[in-house]
Amino acid sequence: MSATLYMPIPAIIERIEDETPDIKTFTIRPVEPIPFAAGQFVELAVPGIGEAPFTPSSSPKISEYMEITIMRTGRVTDWLHTMKEGDEVGVRGPMGRAYPIEEFHDREILIVGGGCGVGPLRSLMLALLEDLQHYARIIVRYGARTPDSIVFKDAQMHGWGQGDALDVMLTVDEAAPGWNGHVGLITEILEEDYLDCHASDGIAVMCGPPVMMKFGTDKLLERGYHPKNIYLSMERNMSCGIGQCGHCRLGRYYICKDGPVFSYQEVQANPRLWDD
Amino acid sequence: MGPMGVKWTIRVSSSLDEVMASLAGERETYALQDLKNGHYQFAKSSTWQPGFHTLGDYRQTEPLKALFFPAREFIGKWKDPSSRKPMPERIVFGVKNCDLSSLAIFDQVFLQGVCPDPYYAEARAKTILVSSDCNSQLDVCFCPAVGEQPYATKGFDINVASTPLGYIIESGTEPGERLLQSAQQYLEPAHEELLNSLKTQRAERYRELVELSQAHGLEPGTDFRTAIETTFESGLWSDFAEDCVECGACNFICCTCHCFLLADGMDADGTAARTKLWDACLYSGFAATAGGGNPRPLRAERLRNRFDKKFSYFPQVMDRYACDGCGRCTEACIANIDIRDVLRRAVDECDALHAHSSDHRAN
Repeated sequence: MSATLYMPIPAIIERIEDETPDIKTFTIRPVEPIPFAAGQFVELAVPGIGEAPFTPSSSPKISEYMEITIMRTGRVTDWLHTMKEGDEVGVRGPMGRAYPIEEFHDREILIVGGGCGVGPLRSLMLALLEDLQHYARIIVRYGARTPDSIVFKDAQMHGWGQGDALDVMLTVDEAAPGWNGHVGLITEILEEDYLDCHASDGIAVMCGPPVMMKFGTDKLLERGYHPKNIYLSMERNMSCGIGQCGHCRLGRYYICKDGPVFSYQEVQANPRLWDD
Repeated sequence: MGPMGVKWTIRVSSSLDEVMASLAGERETYALQDLKNGHYQFAKSSTWQPGFHTLGDYRQTEPLKALFFPAREFIGKWKDPSSRKPMPERIVFGVKNCDLSSLAIFDQVFLQGVCPDPYYAEARAKTILVSSDCNSQLDVCFCPAVGEQPYATKGFDINVASTPLGYIIESGTEPGERLLQSAQQYLEPAHEELLNSLKTQRAERYRELVELSQAHGLEPGTDFRTAIETTFESGLWSDFAEDCVECGACNFICCTCHCFLLADGMDADGTAARTKLWDACLYSGFAATAGGGNPRPLRAERLRNRFDKKFSYFPQVMDRYACDGCGRCTEACIANIDIRDVLRRAVDECDALHAHSSDHRAN
């Protein structure tokens, strides 16, 4: 325990897949399995360089390896993007509170993703798809900046392998040649014209950049979703991951131990909720 | 009645030095050294040193936390299974109540959380805390304002109070009691007159500190939580931030600030290694996220965050302030920001707002 409290265990990068020009999915195999639940995160370390929090994008049913979808956006992620298959990284976790998936049973679930935020949502999707019969209906609404920046293109285009069983719609802020889908902000495809939902008792799960979550939440509330049924994946610079180092405080919570998954009801009173 | 609760004094044939040396035994000893410039510091030694070590009249300059939560703690090398060498048994003399009380914050953070820190746990388990009453105060002290007092009522293994009539020594834990039992040849039960003189002395000391706090506009029992929460949008934060140079001294010197950084780098031999370092929420990068985000880009927001954490967050999660009124931040601030001025302004603005809203209701 003391070894892994602040020190990661080794993991081998087995596979690296390009998702977009600046997003890659890394498959890592830790020296011992890391069982996690969808929504929990891990600290991924480049030895001697630094560590950063990521939520796995792979199925929580698999603990021997995990996939982590990472945008190149800072010191640690720049390093990760230079790494090769077979290289070694460190991992600590899992940390934090997962999606309360058992509370989703028999409900309609709307999954709203923005940009790289669709990583954690893919993990949730894969968990839901394992027990599809438990859920009334699954809807996916995903927004990206451009067609190029859509993550998990194949999976999403084909309804996560479920064909018509899922109601999936994508939008991009800016179109590009060859794009036949919707063009506009994510909030547009949450409007009645594009989203037929049972807002009053439905579950909504959202993950994306703060500005997208802010306007997305406003739209969902306007559509009639209850604050307690809107689940957000919050993010700060979680470092220790266990509620000690103080970096990720949001009001009375530490994102790392009390989150990263919160219902909007739990955090809505915080005046700095959407600051990034 | 068991021996715990008995209050002892030192026999006429004996001395404080003898008792302290007996308690220290073979333990690694930290006791106060009078620097003769108004400051005390912890002086480490292999035992109690008469003429050099003292119990001190008020708190030392550096916070007690440093003995349990070092400013720089080596965590380990990458893939190195060797464990750290065990910490020796320790004893700390002259701990004042502000510092002693602050350990409750560290216990909450490092022992009560989702994953206890074994290094902190070891340091706590292997350290005997000998507290002593304040016999004087610094100009920056304001412990009564935050619900504390200049003598320990809990959290000590042994407490030593010094009065003109003699010492009063008591244990607060089983390990403390066992140590006192081992020093019985120097001790005898304290008589009534001595105990009464201590009561009077403590009351007098407390009253002086209340007056000092009041001179800075702070009354005991003031609701700082409401004051800080109510003034979230106030201009007071940018006013004080005009002077703040965000050096982080208030964070580091604070007896309750517990934030840290896990710093990765290469060891001298080229192995990747990790070190735990004190961090400061006044630093602009403290809450910065990858991609250039920062929830508190302004210095005023970071200054406010420090007070929010101490006077709103900790009352919510622990029902106490993360401030014991030690005044170290005031002492350390090169911009002369006095925590009492910040609190008083928040309280005044909060009172003014409430008076204003009752006026409206009255109309």
